[in-house]
Amino acid sequence: MKDLSVHFAGVSKKYPHFALENINLELPTGSIMGFIGANGAGKSTTIRILMGLVHQDQGAVHVLGHAMPAEQVAAKLDIGFVSEDMRLYKSATIAWHMEFIRSIYPRWDQSYAESLLQRFDLKPQQKVKGLSHGQRVKAALLLALARRPRLLVLDEPTTGLDPVARHEVLGELMAVLADEERTILFSSHNTQDVEQISDQITFIDRGRIIDSDDKEIFLDRWRRLRLVLPPEATLPRLPGIVQVSGSDRLPVLTTNSFESAMVSACHDMGATVQAVDSMTLEEIFVASVQGGRERQTV
Amino acid sequence: MNFSMVKRLILKDWYLQRWLILGSLPAGAITLGIIALGGNAGFFLGILLLVTVIIAVGGQLAVATMVSERKEQTLAFVISLPISYREYTAAKILGNLLIFLVPWITLVLGSFALLMFPPALHLGLIPFVAIMAAEILTSTCLIFAVALLSESQGWTVGAIIVGNLALNGFGYFVGHIPSIANGMWSAPLNWSPAASFLLLGEFTTIALLLGLTFFFQSRKKDFL
Repeated sequence: MKDLSVHFAGVSKKYPHFALENINLELPTGSIMGFIGANGAGKSTTIRILMGLVHQDQGAVHVLGHAMPAEQVAAKLDIGFVSEDMRLYKSATIAWHMEFIRSIYPRWDQSYAESLLQRFDLKPQQKVKGLSHGQRVKAALLLALARRPRLLVLDEPTTGLDPVARHEVLGELMAVLADEERTILFSSHNTQDVEQISDQITFIDRGRIIDSDDKEIFLDRWRRLRLVLPPEATLPRLPGIVQVSGSDRLPVLTTNSFESAMVSACHDMGATVQAVDSMTLEEIFVASVQGGRERQTV
Repeated sequence: MNFSMVKRLILKDWYLQRWLILGSLPAGAITLGIIALGGNAGFFLGILLLVTVIIAVGGQLAVATMVSERKEQTLAFVISLPISYREYTAAKILGNLLIFLVPWITLVLGSFALLMFPPALHLGLIPFVAIMAAEILTSTCLIFAVALLSESQGWTVGAIIVGNLALNGFGYFVGHIPSIANGMWSAPLNWSPAASFLLLGEFTTIALLLGLTFFFQSRKKDFL
């Protein structure tokens, strides 16, 4: 049996204009999951349910072995949480925040916190109101990391950062993550950010999980096949075709279940395979979302 | 209930509101000075300023520690800590009440001292002042309740206005209760059953307001 840090089983939550429907999610201990969705897809709602901040209407949520939201106090002792809409107290210094968090978390690591201060180029006596957005994100990350959490939940931490600050934050985060093994859930609508640090990928759209897999398997099984069809030939029927674009003569098939046998199957049906293109995570995400939405409307 | 966590959250609000607490005390002391030394006009002006200082402290506390927590997005930081909504609510109610009681008790005791000792010596006013001081505490608890339940600046400002208007109306009402009004401007203290009844009613209202706020707030399912 897998050791899971996060387990969602059939979780639903209804709002007047949005619903999270039948979310099933597994995050194995020690892995880093990129949780990707467009704005309003349900990432933050899912994460709030994970944190016990929002109660699900249906389904079971277990985080680090604790049933949520009932056992959220025990679970949150082992979680470091940073979200895009989280702010620190403007009138207080970073040092005050560090002391406040230290007084709550028994595993707070002061020497690690001090090394992060240096690495993030933060000054402890600086008040939060004088920090740039990038520095505020780094300060929040420091507070989350130095409590030595078993699970790190990052809800769009790079949103709103300028490219330089985003690069810095991600670079520092990757350097920090390289230090040791952690379980991380990293949500973003920016696939590049997620691709850099994740080993598992989950896509969410319109309140539903549309795909979830290991990153390498994800990148391996998605391909774009550029075909040339002879006149009056029909498009070969292949498994896992998510999208068909291009023209009748020069179709482009996007598949989420690529196997090399597909190429010979195309040849057998009279089609010429001009190219088999790998796809970036962003292309996969867009194709997944569009394919999912098309299936919903059919 | 994790009381150690509640205590930490209370201390956090005390620290963040320390300038409000410290600032209210000299402001209150100045108004007490005006009451003591300003003659008849100073007496009424000082009372007006004193009431304004206490009400302002209560309103500012509610906005700064409850409404702004959501508005300035520090709520996500606090509730990601190992606390339940019950503990958060308990900390907000207790913390704000304790912070408010610092200037309230200091200024109420200062007012009593002015009335009890020369040159003012208006012992007859003590029941009226006690009832009105409790009324200010009740209004402030109403403001806390509205701020905590609604987390809305608009509703909280509305509660401040209602509390202020109620204070004036209540003052007029109490000042016209014969058993309280008759001895108000005489030297000896005349504590009537009506004064005790009103005080009891006010403290019961405070207990109900805070108890119901805790009850409803604890039942909320969504923090954010």
